[in-house]
Amino acid sequence: MDMKRDYYEDIRLLDSGSQIFWLIALLAVLTAFPFFASSYLIYTVNLMAINVIVALGLNLLVGYTGQISLGHAGFFAIGAYGTLVLMTKLGLPFPAALVAGGLISALFGFLLGLPALRLEGPYLAIATLGFGLTITQILGRIDYFGGHMGLQAPPLSVFGIEVTGDAGRYAVIMPVCVLLAWGLRNLTKTRVGRAFVAIRDSDIAAECIGVNLTYYKTLAFAVSAFYTGVAGGLMAFVLGFINPHTFNVMISILFLAMVVVGGLGSVLGSIMGAVLISWLQIELNRITELPLLGPLLEQISHSVFTISGLPNVQYVVFGLIMVGIIIFEPLGLYGIWIRTKLYWRTWPF
Amino acid sequence: MAKRLFLAAALLAALALAGGAWAGVTKGVSDTTIKIGQWGPQTGPAALWGAVARGTGVYFQMINAEGGINGRKIEYFLRDDAYQPDRTKAIVKDLYENVGVFGFASGVGTSPGMAVMPYLVKNQIPWVGSASGSTHWAYPPKKTIFAVYPNYPDEAKVLVRYALDTLGKKKIGFLYQNDDYGKGGLEGAQAEMKKRGLKLAIEVPTEVMDTDLSSHVLKLKEAGADAVVLWLLPKQAAITMGTAAKLGYKPQWMACSTLSDAPLMYKITKGLWKGVIFGNFAELPDSDNPLMVKYRKAQQEFAPKERWGVFFYAGFGFVEPMVEGIKRAGKDLTVDSFVKAMETIKDFQGIFGKVTYGPDRRQGIRQVFLAKCEDKGQAKRLSDWIDAE
Repeated sequence: MDMKRDYYEDIRLLDSGSQIFWLIALLAVLTAFPFFASSYLIYTVNLMAINVIVALGLNLLVGYTGQISLGHAGFFAIGAYGTLVLMTKLGLPFPAALVAGGLISALFGFLLGLPALRLEGPYLAIATLGFGLTITQILGRIDYFGGHMGLQAPPLSVFGIEVTGDAGRYAVIMPVCVLLAWGLRNLTKTRVGRAFVAIRDSDIAAECIGVNLTYYKTLAFAVSAFYTGVAGGLMAFVLGFINPHTFNVMISILFLAMVVVGGLGSVLGSIMGAVLISWLQIELNRITELPLLGPLLEQISHSVFTISGLPNVQYVVFGLIMVGIIIFEPLGLYGIWIRTKLYWRTWPF
Repeated sequence: MAKRLFLAAALLAALALAGGAWAGVTKGVSDTTIKIGQWGPQTGPAALWGAVARGTGVYFQMINAEGGINGRKIEYFLRDDAYQPDRTKAIVKDLYENVGVFGFASGVGTSPGMAVMPYLVKNQIPWVGSASGSTHWAYPPKKTIFAVYPNYPDEAKVLVRYALDTLGKKKIGFLYQNDDYGKGGLEGAQAEMKKRGLKLAIEVPTEVMDTDLSSHVLKLKEAGADAVVLWLLPKQAAITMGTAAKLGYKPQWMACSTLSDAPLMYKITKGLWKGVIFGNFAELPDSDNPLMVKYRKAQQEFAPKERWGVFFYAGFGFVEPMVEGIKRAGKDLTVDSFVKAMETIKDFQGIFGKVTYGPDRRQGIRQVFLAKCEDKGQAKRLSDWIDAE
């Protein structure tokens, strides 16, 4: 089936002609999308694209390298604040500020990676959780960063072109997203990517075959933080206003959920997970407005749960979907995708 | 070729339809209905404040039961944003672009509000009565945005004035949370003192996460403040009271309206809240004001399980001016006629202080009244509505 006959086939970015075809088709759809979609839909897709970037970065850390993080809201915040502060206080143009914001975030990722060398599993989870909480506390206390009042995003202009509206922002966000996804797929096919996977599978074995643990673990944290920081910088412009509260611990957990639901150690899985969770977050809101089912669920919620009513159901449904995916498909959405593909390959037998 | 022609025709038809939908009709308004939206956290860390949004829902149900406004029933869309600004923005865009609401009522929180304000301003969407005391909404004035909540500086002025003039206190201390909420109060207190050529005896900031406030309270005690104004959240206010009792420090405590739920404060301070004087932006829960009586009845009818707390009925109060504006705009309701009608509102009173708008005025209320916590957490009204200026 997917038999590799030599090394170069293994490191090829795209495995087959049909993959190239579908990739081009996808890019065409993504290009045409803003010309046909409503502003609301474009906004939703912008949010999804940003979450995809974070999920890619987090999957590199969790799925490929086997290091957990519950503190990615911290990197998200650093990227957002970094980008805005560099633009408003130092007058950097947007593209430079975005990259610099990502690099600052990467620096913090490197720093967090150092203690992470000695921590594993639940201990690492707690350490990163602490990091995420600390960052927002610190940001809230420094007036230079707007304190608890937050910061307003300046007008966005890229290479001299003023960007307004959701379609404009889409034109900025989507290329970054595609570029970073391509970058991650490329990375996983290199020596570095294989070193990450070796660390995940067994760090002692990895060290025995010559993988420098210090270097690669901190590198994984730095790259992951860079991705998340860039996503944060873009998010600041989608929201137009940020304050420390925007980056609460709930977001870190959602990021992790995207990666786990999507499929650990897979680029496609990260994308699917981020898209599904962002979509559920936004669309489950409307569950009450469904005919028949909505009022019924509301009735159940009022009699069984609390007075706040349906939002409880919304979270229950959200939780059930996630639990269901993990139980029935431990590989996440990516696993479902693989199975569907196999099914059709051998169809009708 | 035929396909292309078909596509072109379909595109033209779609454009024509879209054009038709735009011409003449105000979004969200039909002969029999008005669509109004609101965001409010029903889940997550701020879910407690979501009662505001549900209160608004009951208020609209009551109005519909009375026959609506100018023959139009209100269709109310409440969406949960979990206090996450990105979700608030999605909700607002969806409600405006897809559902097609006329405007937004209330809406909890500063950061969710800030995230959607530029969009509301750009599209000239009416938004009345944000449930947040931030000054961003009304200053500078924006055409379609009307603030109701008395802002923090105004409230602090009233409290300080009362301490100086009525209680005859000399040294006023100010203990506040170090953010825009606390600083807003501080600013007002400083302004009131400055007007008289005085200064606050001491200003002590706290951080939200501080749980040991003994050094803060000690500073107040050493400065000899005989009245202390608290601009904190309930938990820290309770810690302050406990610490002060331990240190044997007994000034006249005063508090802002975020601490105006006296029974709750009495309970969490184990009785130490007794004697505290606090600001109020809404009538007391057991008030016999005819509107309050009517609203209590509506709550019992439409949402009997809700707690009749200040957050819940504030959801009525924040939206009263909007309903008044829609009423005054009459049968011909458009965004422009609504804004014009809102600007005619002068000294309108519901269960909050008097509301006044004008061509350059978007801050509706600049009044609070004071109450004192008595035995068992009962609130006793001390004053009538007091103007900040």
